[in-house]
Amino acid sequence: MRTLVWLVVVGLLALLGIALSQQGALDPLRNVALTVASPFQRGLRAAASPAADFLDNVAKRQDLEDENRLLRQQIEELTAEIARLKESEFTAADLAALAEVENSRPDDEFLVARVIARDPSNLKERLAIDRGSDDGVAEGMVVMSEGASLVGVVSKALSDFAWVTLITDPNSNINAMMLESRAQGVVSGSLNGGLHMDLIPQDAEVEPGNTVATSGLGGNFPQALLIGQVTSVRGEPQDVFKTAEVEPAASLSRLENVLVLTSFKAARLTSP
Amino acid sequence: MRYLLFVPLILFAAIAQVAAAPYFPLLGVTANPLLVLLVCWAMVRGPEETMALIPVAGIFKDLITTDPVGVSILAFLPIVPLAAIRERRPTESEFLPTLAVVSAASLSYYLIYMIVLTAVGDGPPWLQSPVRVILPAALFNALITPILYLPVRWATTLAEMARPSMSVPG
Repeated sequence: MRTLVWLVVVGLLALLGIALSQQGALDPLRNVALTVASPFQRGLRAAASPAADFLDNVAKRQDLEDENRLLRQQIEELTAEIARLKESEFTAADLAALAEVENSRPDDEFLVARVIARDPSNLKERLAIDRGSDDGVAEGMVVMSEGASLVGVVSKALSDFAWVTLITDPNSNINAMMLESRAQGVVSGSLNGGLHMDLIPQDAEVEPGNTVATSGLGGNFPQALLIGQVTSVRGEPQDVFKTAEVEPAASLSRLENVLVLTSFKAARLTSP
Repeated sequence: MRYLLFVPLILFAAIAQVAAAPYFPLLGVTANPLLVLLVCWAMVRGPEETMALIPVAGIFKDLITTDPVGVSILAFLPIVPLAAIRERRPTESEFLPTLAVVSAASLSYYLIYMIVLTAVGDGPPWLQSPVRVILPAALFNALITPILYLPVRWATTLAEMARPSMSVPG
């Protein structure tokens, strides 16, 4: 009987907590908890990272060899691609468009943030950074890796910390395009941490090795932010759309620092 | 007094789960050491003590993740009745029932967790989750159970040995 009462009381309190946190009423408490926990989190991450690397190397020796072979092959293919580009395969119009994209964001401002934690639920792909609304971080801001490829979007900004929803999150959808063929589609995350690009027109030329970047459609992401590379393409001729598996350009599982793009105002931030 | 030791341990397990566990994935998922620790505690020390620890563990874990505060408490709740059922049916081995309860608690944890996430509009893909997340996570949690069960068992045995025994005069 005592257990039953406890279950009911604690269950009701938990439901109250859920309702309060949905209203944002517990955000200050979250900020305090993260402030207390973050030094321990940094220490544990610093200790876990080399141990995980060591275990990875032991367990994935064969994978590393395969990856090495694949990378050598990709280098060869990319070198060939560069040579082809040099032979003006890209038209002057294409080059002008790319240059325009580059020139359109000369005043980008970034905020460097350190990754302090990762959501452990297995059902979400999110990470915590040590910058928050007091530093100018707002929900909807775009987050990039140090190599300037897309990492995700700020989904929750506390005073001193923020949570970033990664592009591999199952609920993440990004309008994207292939840089080579300009074919458009939607890049979505999945439960296994992978990426796939759907809604690619059947007649679009897509092949492994193609580069996927943001298309800028919808206004939530800047145009031509690198997302990743196509690893395989699926779809029968009778299908309306093709699907491509995409390897993220950023090493999302081992991010230490990220850049928050503070100067870009996403449509979801500026629209009424 | 015993809570003075166990509460910091629970808080440390929650931080470790967020900061370090994602570095050691197996079968595409990360383990839930907090859940396993609570189950081990409930199995070795009895569900009564765990009833006090579940709210502390759940609230703190939710505060340092993106989860709505309270979802982990709800998801940890089945540990208590599961441990109580096992307590009423004593078996020779304590470890094998612990493995069974860890697996069952992992399954119920994800079920409740996914229901709440869906209710608040942050739901995961239900069709893919059982095969890709729930079953591998239950297996992974069962695999790490000895790592947490044995220290809890030994600590309890040592505490019982250190307790002064009552002598009857005459």
